[in-house]
Amino acid sequence: MKDSDVLLMNEPELSLGDQFYLPQVLIGLGTTMKHMLRVLGGKDRVIQYPEEKREDLPVEKGGMLKDTYRGVHRLNKDEEGRVKCVACFMCSTACPARCIHIEAAESPWDDREKYPAKFDIDELRCIYCGMCEEACPCDAIELTHEYDIVGLTRQEMIFDKSKLLKIYDETVEKEPM
Amino acid sequence: MLDLIQEYIPPWVPIAIVVHLAVLGTVAYLILLERKVASWTQDRLGPNRVGPWGLLQPIADGLKFILKEDYRPRHVDKILFTIAPAIMIIVIIISIAVLPWGGIKESTRRMTIPTKPTDQEMRAQAQGKLFAGAEVVGVAEVDHIDPGTNVEGQSIPRMSVVEVTYRWPFQITRLNIGVLFIVAVLSLAVYGVVLGGWASNNKYSFLGGLRATAQMISYEIPLGLSVLSVAVLYGTLDLNTMVDRQAHYWAYVIPAWNIFTQPLAFVMFLICIHAEANRAPFDLAEAEQELVGGYHTEYSAMRFAMFFLAEYAGMITTSAVCVAMFFGGWHIPWLDLIWPSALGDPHSTNPSLVTSLWVCILRSVVIFAKTLFIIFVFMWVRWSLPRFRFDQLMHLAWRAMIPIALATLLMTAIVLYFGGARNDVYRTERRIDGALAAAFFVCNVILVSIVMIVSRIVPPPPDTNQRVEVLHSRFASTPLPGHLTATNN
Repeated sequence: MKDSDVLLMNEPELSLGDQFYLPQVLIGLGTTMKHMLRVLGGKDRVIQYPEEKREDLPVEKGGMLKDTYRGVHRLNKDEEGRVKCVACFMCSTACPARCIHIEAAESPWDDREKYPAKFDIDELRCIYCGMCEEACPCDAIELTHEYDIVGLTRQEMIFDKSKLLKIYDETVEKEPM
Repeated sequence: MLDLIQEYIPPWVPIAIVVHLAVLGTVAYLILLERKVASWTQDRLGPNRVGPWGLLQPIADGLKFILKEDYRPRHVDKILFTIAPAIMIIVIIISIAVLPWGGIKESTRRMTIPTKPTDQEMRAQAQGKLFAGAEVVGVAEVDHIDPGTNVEGQSIPRMSVVEVTYRWPFQITRLNIGVLFIVAVLSLAVYGVVLGGWASNNKYSFLGGLRATAQMISYEIPLGLSVLSVAVLYGTLDLNTMVDRQAHYWAYVIPAWNIFTQPLAFVMFLICIHAEANRAPFDLAEAEQELVGGYHTEYSAMRFAMFFLAEYAGMITTSAVCVAMFFGGWHIPWLDLIWPSALGDPHSTNPSLVTSLWVCILRSVVIFAKTLFIIFVFMWVRWSLPRFRFDQLMHLAWRAMIPIALATLLMTAIVLYFGGARNDVYRTERRIDGALAAAFFVCNVILVSIVMIVSRIVPPPPDTNQRVEVLHSRFASTPLPGHLTATNN
């Protein structure tokens, strides 16, 4: 960066009203009153969560933009119901939060060499960046639109292979691959 | 009803009970209102899950405070740590005592007293049978018992059955130093803050306590001066008398409230009670962002709740004083023009006098409604204005408010000396009539313009926002070898 790129700015000059402070106070009070009247007139910006949900609202009203929303992961299955993953470790390598733990094993099927014997995602560490989805060469891992996942312990929030496959079963009709 | 039971209980006892219950109940709901106002200014809805519109939220909050562990850190000063919140709440509850709720009520009661030759002695006897605070204005004999002897043979003098007319103030206690008492007692509340900050043995709490001290000392002065401006006007410190003198009209429609005669003093007073109540933009003592709660960092459960309650109850007291001094207190505007016989005649010299208990209660509701409006202003200001820096706070008090408040007091004295002495209404009744009020308003405008001109002429304050050379600091001009300096990086 050159010196010529640096823009030196002075503090803005205070107007007479600013210097006497009270007029600006009154203007500020006017602004907040405008907001108060707006809410009391029914124009608040609140989504009453359990009753209203973002996925049910149009985008311009604060609804969910479904094309890009990244929620909990799922492990996709192929037409025969087998897990699509080939345990290539691309996703766990790409993962910036290091939350994907895979143990590969010899594949029982002829069309691939490996398959994941264990596939754990720590949903508490995950930052939902979607890098795993980008990295996957065979579209096996995907991020769904589900966000209301709960668990009572940290252990519960580490999703294993069966849980991730179950999420696929639950979401495949709403969100096909 | 109240007339009946006051044979046995002086009426200030039920009034005190009702007022304190009402104030403490309102405090709980003020906290809900605060959260609602905060939400509304931020385009949110606020608590709405507990009960309809969140109306049961204060009960849930109260339960939480009571059931929480009353934790006291090991390093605190045990006695002071416990006393500090108690001081706060005691002081605030005491200050409620002198608020004027319903003017003066006239009652009559029938009693039997020994007959005396003069009316004065009869009155003195009736006075002795009444509760403290009641003032006998008339004794009329309706029947008598002839002298005789009782069963033990003692002689009984002639007894009179009299109808006693007496007046008593519809408030807990009527002190002739009313507003001075409130200012004096409320300034003790700072002990709660300072002791709480000191006893917590925590640097943030300590800083909060220090800030509170300096702030309170600075803002007591303009507060007292603006109270004086009104006290000088009526020649009294008694809040009920102040309200009484405001309960009439200028030009038949404008209520004779002090907000029109002393607008500058009102602004000063409003700013000072914000500072006094430790609320934004003067909440430096508890600044959440810098001091993690300031003096109440170490407090939890009911001890913290006491600080909290005291803050809001203090708001109620100071707002009620503000209403009594500047907004005509219990004066019900325009309604008493239509119905002067019941609501207190605004054309008489004593509009506070009424005979109906219900009017006294209605007046209490009116002053409470006005108080709630001022409290809403408190909340509105809190969620609109950012906090002052400490030097700005001090400059505002010492360079602006104290000189202006002094000038207002001087202006009031001058107008009263030249205008009041020639004004018949003011000389005889100590009321401000339309002409005098107009003079006050014009003088206030002139004073504001003088202040604006003078504030351009006086030199600016020294720049307090500068680097201070602390030994071994990276801002020091002779840093330690190897130290990073602010100037050469």
